Amino acid sequence: MVSLEMLKEHETVRTAPVSEAEALVDVRGLSLWYGKKQALYDISVRFPRNQVTAIIGPSGCGKSTLLRSLNRMNDLVPGVRVEGEVLYEGVNIYDPRVDPVAVRRHIGMVFQKPNPFPKTIFENVAFGLRLMGVKGSELEDRVVEALKRAALWNEVQDRFKKESGLRLSGGQQQRLCIARAIAVEPPLLLMDEPTSALDPIATQAIEDLIQELKTRYTVVIVTHNMQQAARVSDRTLFMHLGVLVEEGPTEVLFTKPKHPYTEAYITGRFG
Amino acid sequence: MNRTLSSPSPEAFGTDPWKTRIDRTFARALVLPLVLAIGLLVLLLGDTLYRSVSVQVVRADEGPGRTYPFGLAATEVLRQELLARGYTEEEARSLLQDPTERRVLFLQNRVELMWNTQEGPFRYVVTGLRDERVADFSLLEGLRRWEELKAGLGEGERLVLNPWLDQSFLTRTPSRSPLTAGIGVAIWGTIWVLSLALLIAIPVGIGTAILLEEYLREGTLNRILEVNLRNLAGVPSIVYGLLGLAIFVREMGLGPTILSAALTLGLLGIPVIVVTARESLRAVPESLRQAAFALGATRRQVVFRVVVPAALPGMVTGVILSAARLIGEAAPLLLVGAAAYVPFYPTGPLSEYTVIPVQIYLWVSMNIPEFARVAAAGILVMLLVLSGLYFLALYLRNRFRREW
Amino acid sequence: MEILKQRPSRNPKEVLTFALLVFLSSITLLTTLGVILSLVGDVAQFFRRVPLTEFLFAPEWTPLFADPRYGISPLIAGTFLVTLIALLVAVPLGLALAIYLSEYASGAARARIKGTLELFEGIPTVVFGYFALLFVTPLLQRVIPDLNIFNPLSAGLVMGFAIIPYISNVAADAMESVPRSIREAAYALGARPYEVALRVVFPAAISGIIAAIILATSRAIGETMIVAIAAGQRPILTLDPRETIATMTSYIVQAATGDQPTGSTGFYALFAVGFTLFLLTLFLNILAQYVVERYRERYE
Ligand SMILES: Nc1ncnc2c1ncn2[C@@H]1O[C@H](COP(=O)(O)OP(=O)(O)OP(=O)(O)O)[C@@H](O)[C@H]1O
Ligand SMILES: [Mg+2]
Repeated sequence: MVSLEMLKEHETVRTAPVSEAEALVDVRGLSLWYGKKQALYDISVRFPRNQVTAIIGPSGCGKSTLLRSLNRMNDLVPGVRVEGEVLYEGVNIYDPRVDPVAVRRHIGMVFQKPNPFPKTIFENVAFGLRLMGVKGSELEDRVVEALKRAALWNEVQDRFKKESGLRLSGGQQQRLCIARAIAVEPPLLLMDEPTSALDPIATQAIEDLIQELKTRYTVVIVTHNMQQAARVSDRTLFMHLGVLVEEGPTEVLFTKPKHPYTEAYITGRFG
Repeated sequence: MNRTLSSPSPEAFGTDPWKTRIDRTFARALVLPLVLAIGLLVLLLGDTLYRSVSVQVVRADEGPGRTYPFGLAATEVLRQELLARGYTEEEARSLLQDPTERRVLFLQNRVELMWNTQEGPFRYVVTGLRDERVADFSLLEGLRRWEELKAGLGEGERLVLNPWLDQSFLTRTPSRSPLTAGIGVAIWGTIWVLSLALLIAIPVGIGTAILLEEYLREGTLNRILEVNLRNLAGVPSIVYGLLGLAIFVREMGLGPTILSAALTLGLLGIPVIVVTARESLRAVPESLRQAAFALGATRRQVVFRVVVPAALPGMVTGVILSAARLIGEAAPLLLVGAAAYVPFYPTGPLSEYTVIPVQIYLWVSMNIPEFARVAAAGILVMLLVLSGLYFLALYLRNRFRREW
Repeated sequence: MEILKQRPSRNPKEVLTFALLVFLSSITLLTTLGVILSLVGDVAQFFRRVPLTEFLFAPEWTPLFADPRYGISPLIAGTFLVTLIALLVAVPLGLALAIYLSEYASGAARARIKGTLELFEGIPTVVFGYFALLFVTPLLQRVIPDLNIFNPLSAGLVMGFAIIPYISNVAADAMESVPRSIREAAYALGARPYEVALRVVFPAAISGIIAAIILATSRAIGETMIVAIAAGQRPILTLDPRETIATMTSYIVQAATGDQPTGSTGFYALFAVGFTLFLLTLFLNILAQYVVERYRERYE
């Protein structure tokens, strides 16, 4: 059995590390506690610009926690404590002078289960834009633009101002949530198992979309599905028990893993 | 019981007829309370309906006690009545043409539709303010003795099957005479008091619910507010009346007015509204809040742009049900002035007032059979209003039910 | 990074909204304070004129006599009597209904029954008072000839029905929260439905059930209109359910609607009785919460 002590003794195994210049986000020595329980152990990793980085690992290993510390969503959980730094374009977002709300306005997030607001499709996508004070025809243009980029426009163009977002199918809802997240043009898009509640066809659509998105955005995606990680990502992080075990280019991690745990996990021999 | 596993027959598993019977009896007995409760409701409604109709012999104050065919215009009825009372054509016409006189005439003599009179069903009669009741019979007895009563009618007397709850009951003011007592003043009192009370209870109740559910889910202030609310909800409503009497009526010098009543009732309504509002806020899935926060909404924006709109149908339903509860509250208002005899309509927050349930209480406690009929009519009005609100709430609840 | 310098959550609107919410909710605290203050001042006035021993131990409550006596025991006795009768009706019926709701009724039936109960709860108590006085009392008088027109019996009976929902709702919630697995364990041992309900679910939910009964007691004690209308307003020390009596609440109504000159001892007596009522119901509510907290079974 894998023990935490054994894992913590080893440094993260890194293949083809990302240089400081390439990195949009630079996580340095990040540890996180939920109350007394530690969920992340001294994690350091860089997320390169305009690439898709996948986070994989067994359930409860801290994938979501790591993802949510990139836009300070964890601040909403009572009793959370964070150590270390997350540099975003060189600015530490955990600096006491930084407002977490400002961070979240700048970084988009898509959740596991589609969670559209009980409002019209238009109002869903317009939500973030309105928060930034966008109004009038610009608002309208950018909503349409976001719907187009999320590959939803064709399906909803005739009804998007009237129909509630809740009336869409699951896959459409998730694309709506992506449209909502990208409407404000966030340079970084975080996705937490965005397809785990969807059927294979809807999943395919989202995966295609992610490939599209990477030309404009930097994407970090958590997934349980290793094929998905292999298909969509450029780099992959493997986590276990709150520790970042190995990171590197996706094809390296999946074909020539260096750490025995990584190998055990990707070959399905994991306990 | 002796079970032998070696025996292959089904009986070997043993059935205990005695236990089976207990089981069945038990299940049936459990339905009893429901049957009793529904029975009570039916009896209550039946009694109220039955009591609200009676057969009466009435002696007209001035007039001849004639009745008029259904379908005539009210003015025409009144004109004929005046003629029958001995006015000349000329006098009657001038009385009816002068707007002031005409208004007074209509106030003092109401043209009422009776279900039945000695001259047949659905006839108009003109009821004067000082008409006198000679006899009052319950529906069954009255109908049984109809012919006999009709034969015994004296000069200026009429026999009517009177629905106590009629249109003019809703607009009449209270009166010392059951014939002319109405619920109009109490209806307006209830409307005034309730609206002002909701003006206090809704913002405070919903504000507190939002604070507790969206801002302070834990911590000292949350615990203090929560314990306090739980205890407030258990305080008997009459104690709120004492508070109103001591603070609003006397200390603040508002007197026995609508304002005192509204403040009292408003405080009483707060815990109820907090509970329902919290429930509807809690029903909003956490994922919506997460989505809004992830888009960079501030706490206020999350709450007021996402959570509250999503919870609104539930909150509205809750407020309507709370309003229905408040409408029926008599006890606290008895202490802040509603028990007064108020024969005029309220004109503002500092008017004297009475409300529907208190008016009913006053009528019931007169301990006069005919006032019991008036009370029954009042109860019907109140129950109609309440069921209207209840079904509105039900409709809203179903109409806006969301599947997340 | 320009945007990271913004501080949207320090926006004055945010602070003002929070302050407004705190202000609004502080009104609930002020209400409690108001209840206590409004009562305490006048109660103090009362006890300046009437010794506490008389209030607690004198057997008569006669504020309107030339030689007034202020012993609360007749009012307590009246309250106790009506409450007891109400509970005798409400506890068996309410608990039976709760068992039916949680163990026997299907989903749809449960929703319909709860709707009916909600309807029942929504009936103003003045209506129940009317019913007790004008329907139940005449009916009872045929069976019990020397029953007074105003009597605690019919008031208590009707009140019993009126508080059924308070018992059945809380008790059914408690029973529904007993986990399925425990029931299934009992069925697996060959228990019959009634045995499961009575021997397994009922004991497991006992703290909630007791709390339900305590809460209903508190309701019955504080209930005003039914007793004011049907039980009468004559404070005599008796436990005979045929006699006209007065309860604490009906006395308050009587005194407040009669002509008590402000500042008279009789006027302050109103608040002394109200305060007693307040303390009693507060005690019961806290007791109910304590029972729930203390004896709740914790299931994983
Ligand atoms: N709000 C919370 N409070 C306390 N502990 C938490 C909280 N959220 C997560 N945890 C704990 O932190 C650890 C990491 O959780 P996290 O959700 O990040 O795992 P995950 O890798 O995303 O798992 P999954 O694949 O199941 O989504 C888990 O042990 C979990 O129990
Ligand atoms: Mg996760």
